[in-house]
Amino acid sequence: MRDAIELEWAGIPTAAIIHKAVEGSAQAMAKLSGMPDFPFVIIDYPAIPTAIWSKDEIRDLACEVAPKVRARLTA
Amino acid sequence: MAATALAAEAHAFRDEEDLQETYHANGWTDGLPIVAPTPERVEAFLAAAGLAPDVLLGEVPTREVRVTAEHAAINAVMAGCRPDYFPVVLAAVRAHLHEKANCHSTTGTLSGAVQTVVVNGPVRSQIGIECGAGCMGPGFRANASIGRALRLVIRNVCRAIPGVLDRASFSSPHRFSFCFGENEEASNWTPMHVERGFGANESTVTVHSVMTVDSAVDFTSRTPEALCDSMLATLRRNGIAGDEFLGEDTTAMLVIGPEHQRFYDRAGWSKADIRDYLFPKFTEDPGPNGRIVGIGKKEGLLIVAAGGDGMAQTYVLIPHLAIAITEPVIAPA
Repeated sequence: MRDAIELEWAGIPTAAIIHKAVEGSAQAMAKLSGMPDFPFVIIDYPAIPTAIWSKDEIRDLACEVAPKVRARLTA
Repeated sequence: MAATALAAEAHAFRDEEDLQETYHANGWTDGLPIVAPTPERVEAFLAAAGLAPDVLLGEVPTREVRVTAEHAAINAVMAGCRPDYFPVVLAAVRAHLHEKANCHSTTGTLSGAVQTVVVNGPVRSQIGIECGAGCMGPGFRANASIGRALRLVIRNVCRAIPGVLDRASFSSPHRFSFCFGENEEASNWTPMHVERGFGANESTVTVHSVMTVDSAVDFTSRTPEALCDSMLATLRRNGIAGDEFLGEDTTAMLVIGPEHQRFYDRAGWSKADIRDYLFPKFTEDPGPNGRIVGIGKKEGLLIVAAGGDGMAQTYVLIPHLAIAITEPVIAPA
C-alpha cells in the first residue's frame, strides 16, 4: 500500500490492487501518508482474499479489474 | 543523561476511574487497566536506563513512526513494569524495530503474528524472569509486563490498532504478552545468546515475530532422533515458505522442555547435534502432507531450553516474515 503511495510521490503513475478485507488498513496508510483520497483498486467478495484462485476466477477478476487499473494509470 | 524535558502531552484526570476510562475510550490501552504514566514514573524509568527521553530506538518508515526512549518508558510504566525492567524493554523494542524484524508486516498481518520475547543472561535472575514451569503464561510480573510493554509500544507508538493497521483476522492471546527466559541453569546446552555471539555474562533479548505457536507433544519417543522427527513433523505441518526479503536468514525457534531435554542429555546431544540432524531434512521432499521448511542456514534454527517438568513437549515457533533479532541489555553508565 505504502509502496504505491511512494511511487506516486516519485511521479510514477501507480495502481494498487487490494482486497476489501484490508481496505481499512489501506485507508489508514493513505491518511497517515498525507494522501487520504488515494484511489486504491478494490477486489471485493465473493473473491476471497487468501486462497488459491482457479483459472476461471483469475480470468473473471482480471476482466473486472483491468479497466479500473487502466483508468487509474491514464487519469 | 542529558536534561531533556519530556515531550509527551500532559493530561489531567479527576480521579483513578476517570484516568482508566479515558485511556480505554481513547484506545490507548490493550483492553486492560494501565498504571498511570506520570512524569515522575517516566523519568524514573529513563534514569534506570541512563537515557535521555529523545534517544531514538528505531523507526517504522512505512508508518512514519520514530520510537524514542520516552515512548518506551511511558508504555513500560503503563504495562506494569518496574524501573529495573526497563533496560530489558528497551532491548526488546530495539530488536523489534530492526529492519529484518519487519514491524510493519508482522504487526499488520491478517495472520495475527505474535512478538516472542526471549531473555538470556544474568538479568533473568536479577529481575525475576521465569524460565521454568509456567514461563509462557501468567503469574510472573517481569514476564507479563515486559511482553506487554513491547505490545503497548507496538499499539500506541507504532500505530498497530486492531481493525485499522492491525488487520489480524483472529489475533492471539499471545499479543497481550509473550515473554520468557531460557532456563540456562537447568540445561547443559550453550545458551541461545552465546550461540549468537554474545558472552555468557552478557544479558540479551531476542525478539521473534511468530505466525504460529505450535506444539510437538511426544510422550513415546526415547531417542534424540525420534524426538527430532516429531519436531520435524510439526515444522513440516506448518511449513516455512521463505521470503526474498529475508533470504537465507529465515529463522524458526524450538523451545524444548525438560522432558525432551533429558533424552538429548543422556545421549550427549548438543544444540548443534540437533541442527546437524534436522537441517539436511529441511531440503528433502516433505511428502504429500508436508510443506517446505525454508530455513536457509543451519544456525537459523534457534533452540531454547525452557519450561517445567512433566509434559513431554517442545514448542515450535513458526516465523512470520521476520527473523529473530538479538539485542544486548545495556546497563546504565
